Amino acid sequence: MPLDEYDKIAHLLRRAGFTAHPDEVEAATARGLQATVEDLLNFEKFPDVPPDPELLAALDLSQDDFNRMRGDFLNKLTRWWLHVMVTTPRPLQEKMVLFWHGLFATSVTGLEFWQQIYLQNENFRGNFDPDTGRLLRPAPGNPFPVGNFRRMLEYLSKDPAMLYWLDNQFNVKKNSEVGSNENYARELHELFSMGVEDVVARVPNYTERDIRQASRALTGWRVLPRAAGFTFPRVFFFDAQRHDFGPYEHLGKRGGTNADFIFDNIVRHRNPGQKQSAVGRFLGYRLFTFFGYEDPEPEIINALADVFDGAHGEEPFNIRNMLRTIFTPGNIVSEAFYSERAFRARIKSPTEYVVSLMRLLTFDRTTGRPDGLQLSSAAMRLLQNAMIQMGQQLFAPPDVSGWREGLAWITTTSVLARFNFANDVLSLGVAQGGIDLARLIAQAGLQEAMQQNRYGEVVDTLARWLWPAPPSAEAREALIAYLQAPIPDVNPSTLATTKIRGLIHLMLAAPDFQLC
Amino acid sequence: MNKTTRREFIKKSGLTLLSVGLGQQAFLRQVRAASESVLTQAAALSPVDRILVVIQMDGGNDGLNTVIPLTGSAASLYRQYRPTLAIPEENVLPIGTDAAGTLVGFHPSLSPLKDLYAQGHVAVIQSVGYPNPNRSHFASQDIWHTADPQGMKRTGWLGDYLDVAFPSADNPLLAISLAGGRLPLTLRAEQVLVPAISNVANYQFRTQPPGDHENKMRTFLALNRETAPEHVLREQIRLIALDTYESVQMLQSGVQRYTSDPSITYNQQNPLARALQQVAQILAADLGTRILYVSIGGFDTHQSQATPHATLLSRLSEAVAVFYADLVRLGLDDRVLMMTWSEFGRKVLENGNQGTDHGTVGPQFLIGTRVKGGIVGEHPSLRAEDLNPGLGDPKFSARAIDFRSTYATILERWFRVDSREILGGAFELLDVIRA
Repeated sequence: MPLDEYDKIAHLLRRAGFTAHPDEVEAATARGLQATVEDLLNFEKFPDVPPDPELLAALDLSQDDFNRMRGDFLNKLTRWWLHVMVTTPRPLQEKMVLFWHGLFATSVTGLEFWQQIYLQNENFRGNFDPDTGRLLRPAPGNPFPVGNFRRMLEYLSKDPAMLYWLDNQFNVKKNSEVGSNENYARELHELFSMGVEDVVARVPNYTERDIRQASRALTGWRVLPRAAGFTFPRVFFFDAQRHDFGPYEHLGKRGGTNADFIFDNIVRHRNPGQKQSAVGRFLGYRLFTFFGYEDPEPEIINALADVFDGAHGEEPFNIRNMLRTIFTPGNIVSEAFYSERAFRARIKSPTEYVVSLMRLLTFDRTTGRPDGLQLSSAAMRLLQNAMIQMGQQLFAPPDVSGWREGLAWITTTSVLARFNFANDVLSLGVAQGGIDLARLIAQAGLQEAMQQNRYGEVVDTLARWLWPAPPSAEAREALIAYLQAPIPDVNPSTLATTKIRGLIHLMLAAPDFQLC
Repeated sequence: MNKTTRREFIKKSGLTLLSVGLGQQAFLRQVRAASESVLTQAAALSPVDRILVVIQMDGGNDGLNTVIPLTGSAASLYRQYRPTLAIPEENVLPIGTDAAGTLVGFHPSLSPLKDLYAQGHVAVIQSVGYPNPNRSHFASQDIWHTADPQGMKRTGWLGDYLDVAFPSADNPLLAISLAGGRLPLTLRAEQVLVPAISNVANYQFRTQPPGDHENKMRTFLALNRETAPEHVLREQIRLIALDTYESVQMLQSGVQRYTSDPSITYNQQNPLARALQQVAQILAADLGTRILYVSIGGFDTHQSQATPHATLLSRLSEAVAVFYADLVRLGLDDRVLMMTWSEFGRKVLENGNQGTDHGTVGPQFLIGTRVKGGIVGEHPSLRAEDLNPGLGDPKFSARAIDFRSTYATILERWFRVDSREILGGAFELLDVIRA
């Protein structure tokens, strides 16, 4: 059964962003699907959430002072990013920052200077210039998060956190076969751009020798240990003394004096007899898995790879064009994206779970936007700790290959963590920075419905607010029964609120809310 | 009873509960009865009924100050390299002579462990590590967790064991981690879900207000009941939610069966003792749990290490001793093997801050009634030519023992499974388990 217009727009908003509140869907419907896609894609026309002054100030602390508070810094940074995801008028921008964080997975556990992870987060948002070490909103020339992937490889390879995380900092000229440290060169091929095998043809994309030769080209790519005006290493430095100027033999080509040669070869690499590039297919696979569904068909991957390759005359290597193909109706990829198979078929990551929860529960119908929560509130701390229990600590992925997505998110521990987080956050008072339930109840018109025992209406209204689809008859019946079930020892004047709070809790813990 | 039928039962119970209004307590009793019958059958079918308790010493334990050389060149070099940190000879608790003829002894804080050793219940495996040692906590821990020195594997060695040995994964409490809220990589599996429990008392569905708990749980179950055929992911989520519910019920009702004994006192100031007390509660409940994982942190002793290291070793040995005594009381000691591990030892030469830096090999303890007590292997040589140049920690030499030998021994001789698939190769077995 094809999706109707409401479901299509809601599906788009949940995937390209984080939520589809009925009011958001209504506003988008008024604009139309096509215009909504373009609004999401061209997010630059909407204001961004400003940086947090406390985080910026921490970057100027002496290293000793910083190290004394680095755990606190990481907590603040995590809360700030979650706050941005909840309140941003640019949801697709943050979705893509999350995508790149998962793909170019970097963990503070491997960093000496934890400040660098903040720079990386801003780099993935397009707000960092590695050549000067400066944060700018936006940094001119920075291709993240939706620009030219060829240039992204350069900005990634110059990223201070990345240079430390995968040891390229220590990669110096060795001989005509290999640089002194091939760690980064390996992950650049294996995890960051094409994978060991072509994702469609299942043939090897490169040889061990290609890795070794690439490591030569990346020698001398390091971070200045000290740069004037900065308290920690944050400026990219091309160290000609340590660099091997080639020529290199890489992916069937010979030449080059620097890593540009490697980046060019990577993005244009095609296996013999293959119409699409290896990178186009890899990114097509990863992007569709992230936005659409797992294990997309080869035709979908190839169609996205064609866009990456510029097969129809478009600008090549452009991520925004690939996203446009996924979201704009009228092609094989978007047909799959708006299909029954894709609908409600993505398991929310812990980040998506807490962000969607916060967005929906703090949504203000008068402004048409989520308020989010106070950065320093008990609720934000709760949220951050709960995410660790759910298995996703931002800025600390388990390893360089990132988090395992999909069903791997659901375990007995995480089911309990999601259930308990929903309970705890709903139990916090407004004074502790909790959710303003009274406003939600008023704006949803639930008070009167409860008073008049119109329980079905209460369930239907909240399901429309929180769930991607109406409840099944059985679920609806169970939720109505819950509203009717008496609670001993509860003040009758608060019973209705308590029951609505409980209903929301149950809806957030149900399988329906784990999916988007 | 396989996974489907067990789940079938819960689904049907859920229906019964809602359709005929069976009370919550009666329902829980039904679930419990069913779980017990599952476990009874599973136990009867299972070839081995053995339990492993893993104790992680997080941070890199200073092995040289744990098992201390008392004779030979190692003893004199030890005192020379450790001007402030060497344990005075008269305080060391001698345990015996290793294969190379070096008399070694325990740190004085290990006195309770020494008693167990004297009873023949402790195997001390010397110089355990792996080639090309990695001195990063995270990298080296990953290597120990996965048994993969390349650090490329995403599942743990015991997770792999669970997948191989329990393909139907019919018990949601086959293994339990009590090492905080995050599942240690050791127990990460492809199929088997292992709960990470920071505290048994917290492994509950929290609901506000308390008076609404039964209403909420009944509704939660109803929301996870089978409905019309849905998307496969939704079906999976639903089944795992039911597993979660079942594991909570099993655990919470099970641990109530544990009764304390005045002669067994777990020191509540000792976090490891508290964790092992919970392990004892779980084992006493006989829930079919095969692997339990606990952790004690703080071993990264870069400065002024003498007192904190002594405290940590004292906590370790005190907790292990009281836990062992409890197992004897419960009649479970024959079924339980304890294994300690730490990601690396520390440098031979103490640093300028009366501490020690990250090193290589270290000792491992196996503890239990079925352990063949004694010293396995040799104390690391501290001669200059046997240390890594410029780094001052023992080389991983021919005399050292690969940690995967310990793992292989546990898999083959304790769990009685083929270790080669799990460890990606055959490793020498150690003579540390009594037949």
